[in-house]
Amino acid sequence: MPGPVCCRSKSYSVIAGFWPDFGRTVGSVPLSSALLVVGSLLLLGLAAGVWLRLRDGRARTVRSADSVIDAAVLDPGLWGARATLVQFGTEFCTRCPQARRVLAAWADRHDGVRHREVDLTHRSDIASRYRIMQTPTTLVVDSSGTIRARIHGVPRPEALQEAWRAALGSTTPENASLTEGQAS
Amino acid sequence: MTTPPVIDVRRPRFGAVLTSVLLLIAVLLALTGASAARVGDAAAVDASTVSSSQWLLPHLGLSDRLLDPAFLLTLLVAVLFAWGVLWPSTHPWNVLFQKVVRPRLAPPRAMEDPSAPRFAQGVGLAVVGVGLVLHVLGVPWALVIAAAAAFLAAFLNAAFDFCLGCQLYLLVHRMGLIRRRAHA
Repeated sequence: MPGPVCCRSKSYSVIAGFWPDFGRTVGSVPLSSALLVVGSLLLLGLAAGVWLRLRDGRARTVRSADSVIDAAVLDPGLWGARATLVQFGTEFCTRCPQARRVLAAWADRHDGVRHREVDLTHRSDIASRYRIMQTPTTLVVDSSGTIRARIHGVPRPEALQEAWRAALGSTTPENASLTEGQAS
Repeated sequence: MTTPPVIDVRRPRFGAVLTSVLLLIAVLLALTGASAARVGDAAAVDASTVSSSQWLLPHLGLSDRLLDPAFLLTLLVAVLFAWGVLWPSTHPWNVLFQKVVRPRLAPPRAMEDPSAPRFAQGVGLAVVGVGLVLHVLGVPWALVIAAAAAFLAAFLNAAFDFCLGCQLYLLVHRMGLIRRRAHA
């Protein structure tokens, strides 16, 4: 858009009345356009927040078979017999305690599932290797150490069940007696 | 390593609400002020040498750039960010929360390690700091963009409890790793 901008208005700033005039009262963006931009910024923030909320805590199935959790990252002796929930966190991670509660509770309720934590604060090499961009991130790892699903943020209650179904077939590791106990 | 005292999880979020309001006002002031203005027929600029369609900021003297209302308000936010990094316990928002807000709230749902919000304050300081420096150097729109970016981060924290600074922590570490490898 060439040429001088629209505004020949004298209103240089919303607090122009209280502010000394430096002799540059023209050529500024008019208040109406500025308010429009500010409104758009608010909408952008709302949209970004809703988008983050929607994708947060959901499981995404990992298809590539070559992504295996390294024995150096997590000792195979610490893996679960059927699956391991590997939670990555840092000292700065505010939502990691919340994720820990969800994952530990789920692991407790399911046979052969273990919850393990890896601190990335001083291990950026691990973060690079597994492309971890945020914490908490949880990897659902099967008995062979293959990564089957990723969950960013605090896992939703149904996300782990979905991850299990999608990654490991229809059989869920439900502890039958416990489930019945809860149902009654 | 000593364990830092834990804080109410609502405290950083309360601060983010106040900070995001200040930053939104700063964006409005920056848009209507010198940062985004064209020369027009401003008295501060010699009309015979500068076209009226050029950006005003590079042609303004240092004192005019420094006395721009948006610059002063963003500087205040930068000081508050720095305060939050250096002495979080005496920060005005935190004192206000502790003295006025918290007594009116229910007991905290959860406590958290204060190093995460502290790190995020540093991220905020870096973002607005770049904008302030570029504004002083005469770069148009720098203040608008920096204040808008910082607003989005503060808003996501305030409205959606999403800590962008904590997510950036990992990315910063990963970039550091790439640099070290490039030198090796």
